[in-house]
Amino acid sequence: MTTEPSQANRPIYLMLRMKPPWVFVDEIRRFVESFCACACPGESREAQVALAVHELMQNAIPHAGGESVDLTLQVDPAADRIEIAISNPGTEEQFAEFKGRLDRINQEPDPLRSYLRAMAEAPMNQRGGLGLARVRFEAQLELSITREGNRITVLAWGRLRAPQLKVTGGIHG
Amino acid sequence: MVDPSKPGARTPAIQVSEEKYSAAMHVEPMGTRVQFRGTISTVNPASVLNPFVDQVHDHLLKAGAKDVRVDFTELEFCNSSGFKSFIYWIQKIQSAGDKQYRLRFISSPARKWQRTSLLALSCYSPSAVEIG
Repeated sequence: MTTEPSQANRPIYLMLRMKPPWVFVDEIRRFVESFCACACPGESREAQVALAVHELMQNAIPHAGGESVDLTLQVDPAADRIEIAISNPGTEEQFAEFKGRLDRINQEPDPLRSYLRAMAEAPMNQRGGLGLARVRFEAQLELSITREGNRITVLAWGRLRAPQLKVTGGIHG
Repeated sequence: MVDPSKPGARTPAIQVSEEKYSAAMHVEPMGTRVQFRGTISTVNPASVLNPFVDQVHDHLLKAGAKDVRVDFTELEFCNSSGFKSFIYWIQKIQSAGDKQYRLRFISSPARKWQRTSLLALSCYSPSAVEIG
């Protein structure tokens, strides 16, 4: 079997609508990792994308109130772009709170510095405070948030062929 | 009866176990090794892992350890809530004064997330973290 050359660079989409309890997040992460490995072989992005989906799903599920969480993943080889959208029902107050957290993370142009600050400031004995900064640095994805109707959507996007993460070391603060 | 605190003992000296993951401290001839296994992805793993870290840390301080191997080779995944337990561990080391020791992480090349996560931890505290 051969792949038609004209189809090789077309965008590839994955769309999932779930009412998942927390325990299924691991299965979703594994599926996304496998999907990405097939959709963009040789790009070594699957583990980073899977990590991002896992963290964003774990953010979305507690706010969904038992309603559906939607995941859309787009891999576009021709545009060298990968995009994740995760949406869940959310109030105006939840949106404002989430946007405030994201704005603070995005204020720092260097994702590593933002991540290190989150590490220093995140409460150690309760969940939360680190996932978004982790996605931005470790998955090399930019983050934004929108609200339409009663649904909040977190968008994470970046290069499909992202350069390997390297740091000079010793950065702290 | 086997004394688990003695080198070569078969049973872990300190351990915790949940449905999807476990952590255990092994006292071995070449030093202390802390092994994490499975998938750390529950809602608040710090409630389990931080007390474990406290016990391991106390043991290492009493033993006057200079380093400890932290074995990730069988750790499939760790969410950000679980990752905070390693930050918590580093913060404890940083506050240990002249008894500070190093975390020597042993990672799995097949689990690519470990490279970026450990890279970030090494930036957080270059003096306390070493990646093997």
